[in-house]
Amino acid sequence: MDSSNAAGTSNGGSGDGDPAAAARRNTKMPKYSKFTQQELPACKPILTPKWVVSVFFLVGVIFVPVGVVSLLAARDVVEIIDRYDDACVPVNMTDNKLGYIQNETISKECTRTLTVTKDMKQPIFVYYQLDNFYQNHRRYVKSRNDAQLRDYKKANQTTSCEPERTTADGKPIVPCGLIAWSLFNDTYIFNRGNENLTVDKKDISWKSDREHKFAKNVYPSNFQNGGLIGGAKLDSSIPLSDQEDLIVWMRTAALPTFRKLYGRIYVDLKENDTITVKLDNNYNTYSFGGKKKLVLSTATWLGGKNDFLGFAYLIVGGLCIFLAFAFTLLYVIKPRKLGDHNYLSWNRHPAGR
Amino acid sequence: MAEDHGSSRNMSMSMSQKELGDEDARAVRVGDAARTNERLEFAGNAVRTAKYSPFTFLPRNLFEQFHRLAYVYFLAIAVLNQLPQLAVFGRGASVMPLAFVLTVTAVKDAYEDWRRHRADRAENNRLAAVLSTVPGAGAAEYVPTKWKDVRVGDIVRVAANESPPADMVLLATSDTTGVAYVQTLNLDGESNLKTRYAKQETLTTRVEHLAGAAVIRCERPNRNIYGFQANLELQEESRRIPLGPSNIVLRGCDLKNTAWAVGVVVYAGRETKAMLNNAGTPTKRSRLETHMNRETLFLSGILIVLCSLVAALSGVWLRTHATQLELAQFFHKKDYLNSDKENSNYNYYGIAAQIVFNFLMAVIVFQIMIPISLYISMELVRLGQAYFMIRDARLYDASSDSRFQCRALNINEDLGQVKCIFSDKTGTLTQNKMEFRCASIDGVDYSDITRQRPVEGDLAWVPKVPVNVDREVMALVRNVGATEQGRYTREFFIALATCNTIVPLILDGPDPKKKVIDYQGESPDEQALVSAAAAYGFVLVERTSGHIVIDVLGEKQRFDVLGLHEFDSDRKRMSVIIGCPDKTVKLFVKGADSSMFGIIDKTLNPDVVQATEKHLHSYSSVGLRTLVIGVRELTQTEFLEWQMAYERASTALLGRGNLLRSVAANIERNMRLLGASGIEDKLQDGVPEAIEKLRQAEIKVWVLTGDKQETAISIGYSCKLLTQDMTQIVINSNSRESCRRSLDDAISMVHKLRSLSTDSQSRVPLALIIDGNSLVYIFDDTEREEKLFEVAIACDVVLCCRVAPLQKAGIVDLIKKRTSDMTLAIGDGANDVSMIQMADVGIGISGQEGRQAVMASDFAMGQFRFLVPLLLVHGHWNYQRMGYMILYNFYRNATFVFVLFWYVLYTGFTLTTAITEWSSVLYSVIYTAVPTIVVAILDKDLSRRTLLKYPQLYGAGQREENYNLRLFIYIMMDSVWQSLAVFFIPYLAYRKSAIDSASLGDLWTLSVVILVNIHLAMDVIRWTWITHAAIWGSIVATWICVIVIDSIPILPGFWAIYKVMGTGLFWALLLAVIVVGMIPHFAAKAIREHFIPNDIQIAREMEKLKHSHELTHPEVQMSTFAQS
Repeated sequence: MDSSNAAGTSNGGSGDGDPAAAARRNTKMPKYSKFTQQELPACKPILTPKWVVSVFFLVGVIFVPVGVVSLLAARDVVEIIDRYDDACVPVNMTDNKLGYIQNETISKECTRTLTVTKDMKQPIFVYYQLDNFYQNHRRYVKSRNDAQLRDYKKANQTTSCEPERTTADGKPIVPCGLIAWSLFNDTYIFNRGNENLTVDKKDISWKSDREHKFAKNVYPSNFQNGGLIGGAKLDSSIPLSDQEDLIVWMRTAALPTFRKLYGRIYVDLKENDTITVKLDNNYNTYSFGGKKKLVLSTATWLGGKNDFLGFAYLIVGGLCIFLAFAFTLLYVIKPRKLGDHNYLSWNRHPAGR
Repeated sequence: MAEDHGSSRNMSMSMSQKELGDEDARAVRVGDAARTNERLEFAGNAVRTAKYSPFTFLPRNLFEQFHRLAYVYFLAIAVLNQLPQLAVFGRGASVMPLAFVLTVTAVKDAYEDWRRHRADRAENNRLAAVLSTVPGAGAAEYVPTKWKDVRVGDIVRVAANESPPADMVLLATSDTTGVAYVQTLNLDGESNLKTRYAKQETLTTRVEHLAGAAVIRCERPNRNIYGFQANLELQEESRRIPLGPSNIVLRGCDLKNTAWAVGVVVYAGRETKAMLNNAGTPTKRSRLETHMNRETLFLSGILIVLCSLVAALSGVWLRTHATQLELAQFFHKKDYLNSDKENSNYNYYGIAAQIVFNFLMAVIVFQIMIPISLYISMELVRLGQAYFMIRDARLYDASSDSRFQCRALNINEDLGQVKCIFSDKTGTLTQNKMEFRCASIDGVDYSDITRQRPVEGDLAWVPKVPVNVDREVMALVRNVGATEQGRYTREFFIALATCNTIVPLILDGPDPKKKVIDYQGESPDEQALVSAAAAYGFVLVERTSGHIVIDVLGEKQRFDVLGLHEFDSDRKRMSVIIGCPDKTVKLFVKGADSSMFGIIDKTLNPDVVQATEKHLHSYSSVGLRTLVIGVRELTQTEFLEWQMAYERASTALLGRGNLLRSVAANIERNMRLLGASGIEDKLQDGVPEAIEKLRQAEIKVWVLTGDKQETAISIGYSCKLLTQDMTQIVINSNSRESCRRSLDDAISMVHKLRSLSTDSQSRVPLALIIDGNSLVYIFDDTEREEKLFEVAIACDVVLCCRVAPLQKAGIVDLIKKRTSDMTLAIGDGANDVSMIQMADVGIGISGQEGRQAVMASDFAMGQFRFLVPLLLVHGHWNYQRMGYMILYNFYRNATFVFVLFWYVLYTGFTLTTAITEWSSVLYSVIYTAVPTIVVAILDKDLSRRTLLKYPQLYGAGQREENYNLRLFIYIMMDSVWQSLAVFFIPYLAYRKSAIDSASLGDLWTLSVVILVNIHLAMDVIRWTWITHAAIWGSIVATWICVIVIDSIPILPGFWAIYKVMGTGLFWALLLAVIVVGMIPHFAAKAIREHFIPNDIQIAREMEKLKHSHELTHPEVQMSTFAQS
């Protein structure tokens, strides 16, 4: 305000019309502002008993119902899990499972019967689950090259794809790397009685992957030609963007026990329906003691069948309500007047200095 | 150090007293720069304060930065990561954090250096008028020359208000007597004018003729700005003309009140005294940082344990899976491509090697356990804190127009932990503005202040500083009818007017008939005395090198100054030999009473001597500074004898200083006592209140002064350091033996008093008063030192009087060595430098005594009373903020590392991270860095008002309440719990599901970041909009970063965040993680704050609840500190 007035009055004259302003210019006196004097308006919340109890209570009140709802949702999910890796080994080869899986002459076909425990509403998700398969192993996760997958001109870019980088004669593998090489290759065919339950394998992968990560004009080449066969072979006439099993597989799992979407069945299943699964038990998990399971599951907003979240919310909510009561009790038993200067240490023990 | 005079000399003085030998001399041929510089031994005048050149910047700056051990650690890790077997992160990601820190620091350094370069260039290209002779012709003219081209030996002409381009010896000035006045504001901060003289011999010769005809031999360049020794040899004369400090003008000072001065350059460029004094202050490290290193070691321990665990477990895993690895699709041990190679395995070197690799990889992955960003955060925070301290209007001193200065940037938080203050007296507690108060003349005491009035009547001369006069004395002086008493009184004032080195400057006052005289001089005591003489009608109006003119009661009289023995700290007196107008030659001496009574002939007037001694005692007991004045009339023979001795001594090449001293001592004897003066050393504003506040804050205040015991005690009383109820222990000994005895007595007295009053309420406060002599004996012997410590620590107040500069440092060291108490030294003069540098925190008062103290200090300010807001407010805040920030940084990085660690347990111990490498790199740099810095700069646990109202709150810092091992352990436990919540809640929810690692990694990233930010938010005390912006903005920024990273199709985690954010489970888990993670901290906080509250908590509540009350009844009590 001051300076604007001065500017107004000393309109005609020179700048020395306002001695105060001149003095201010010459002095090193810090300019006053709420910021520099650390006096910005501020809110200073303190944890009063009221706050503590209400926070705990509020959290409890929110968490318990959410817990109940998610528990109910998880209970609604119907899940059929069938471990077949052991069962599909012929009786005479149970001692030599590795020999069984490596022998190409032995038929890998196998039939499993599943009983539906509860009504299942479509869509029914078909997963395969692998146990003890470290898709997050450092050797494994690094062994891929994403540039190669989205640009056919970059087929030669196979850095970090070791040890499945090129063929023995030096040709680049597309898709290269351990991940692609180890593509899961068991297949399932579902029948209810005589009715064939078609598995829809469209859209099992992420749309973003199909559109931006795996190109329409990149075709598999030199794939699975090496000394050791890791898993599935790819049809080199189908572009990568349509190889949805590969795309799903290459979204590496976070944990050593994981499921991958195989397809969806758009048929409602009734309780006690019997489903026969004809499967090709091709994938070698016997070498490292991994388990293979087939999973049929419905889904809710919370994902699959997992009680954990519901229980977690219930327990936390209950704990918070308990703490709310406990704190109320404590505050009643040992009350303290807030901001009472008698509690200051030098007032409590006046002789303490 | 055995003798008092030996110890009272400080380093720089002893340097000046070293005599000039021939081998030390440099020969400067006046006006002949070419021949002077033939041997290229003298520096040119170009100065260079910049550290780097464009070419040396990178290597030198990096070299300096890597002096920090932490940086070496991160460099080692970055190098490790470049080995193919260990490459955990990509090249870019691994080098980025270190590169970021190095770059930020380098940019800061480069900017500072660029500014120095710019300043250097401006300085070097200034123009000076240099005499250039045309050979043979004898014609010469002054040619404008750039400063950098000025050479030693050049003759330079400096005009008024200009600064000489280098140190030069004056040859001639515009004044016919060769006087030049200089202001040394930039050199030592003193604003008064100092006189410099050109020698008579060079004055009379024309400068052009001097060129090539004279040689100056001067001492080697040194940094003593108050000393200079040289002599001038003229061709036609055989004798050498001595040159001293009064014949030289230094680079950096300004020529004032003199139209021009001509001099010859003797020191140039980096050899000038100004540049030699430019050395920086020694770096100190803060207490908190030292403690922090201890916790960093703990963290390294945890890091090693984690890494060893991972390495060992990976070994076990490899062993149990040994048979399976060849065919397991995720391992693929054999390399079929290169199966002909000797080692047919792909990237597998046996279990032992893998364990080692895994260990090293673990170090790389978990590296941020040692928080790298903490170092840069601390620097930024200190910068911010310094900004606020400098800008604090309450630390601004209007009288000297000076702001607070932060000279050291790394000990801000030490200000919050001070337990012991060592304060200088003169200029620090007192203003060093002397006021003439009273006098004892010829044994008559004139100290009744009630009789004193301002000067009346029209006088032609008015001193700038008004002095009240005693009317009785006035009448005595005016009464021309000479009584014996009147004669002595007049002689007393003549002595005051003559026996000094004051330069009168005549200014035009508002009244044209009255001239205002400003007395400029180096000693404030002398200024006060001359002003007093002027007020009584003995006005010093003119000074040249040969005579002074005194207006004696309206009649101008000329007094010839025949000789002058300057004040030195050994003699503690000065004297002049004056040829009076009545043709008598008189010797006037003034000095400290201890030195004067030794040279006074007590038989001349025993009554007067006795009375004066009594008066002196009463003056000093009310805190006045006393000087004793004596006179002696010299006979002709005595004078001639002296003159010969003086001349011999002053031209001597060897031992000139000592010779002059002995000449002075020879003549200064058998003096007749004229009287004594009492000068009041006014206390600085607010000193008693400040000391009271500091005492309430349980900070011990020690006063170390060069003054004598009585003065020190009286000042002690007037600034409320000493109180009447205190028991004083005085140690004042003249011998080793008596010193030991008094120490033993003191100890037994302390023990007795303490045992009498075990109940601390009835405790008798103790004060220890000790003098410099005793300290000499005490510091001789460690046993006595130990005893002194025992006594001193039991006392509430310690007053050390008559201490020499180095003893001041010794006393600080006494405390520093034996306790862990934080010490602070505050002083204003050159004699405080050693103490300021010795103490943990050194504070300089930018006052009257010069700038050395400020140059050596860590912080500088205008007033002693600013210590209260500085320590109690800023120190408290700085400590609280910094302590919290360090702990928080440890916690925050540890939480993240633990989350990574839990995941490693589920990856076959192969150190895969679900969190993307960019997120782990950005975590401590971007995701969580800004809020802690902002909070550490802006958060305030208590308001300024509360902190000043309850100085006891300062105890939090002294007791290390905000940073200690207990808090560290607590926060690490919290960190483990939160990491468990962050990791296992999503883990259990997503177990046996189709979750991919990128989605889970994003969830983990976000939940860690949100959790640690909410943790911070919960601990923030004062929410301003900036805090809100920083904390919530940082969460938003993290979210944006994660989204950006997941929008790069080339990365494996492409699109994961979009996908996972679309599921309800993600949000439910995020909420659960935050709530579960925060419950313990929240509950612990609630319990701590309510059931075991500390003082700060109570004060916070009082502040909050009384806020409305205080708005209507603002406190008046604190106005002295609240206003500036």
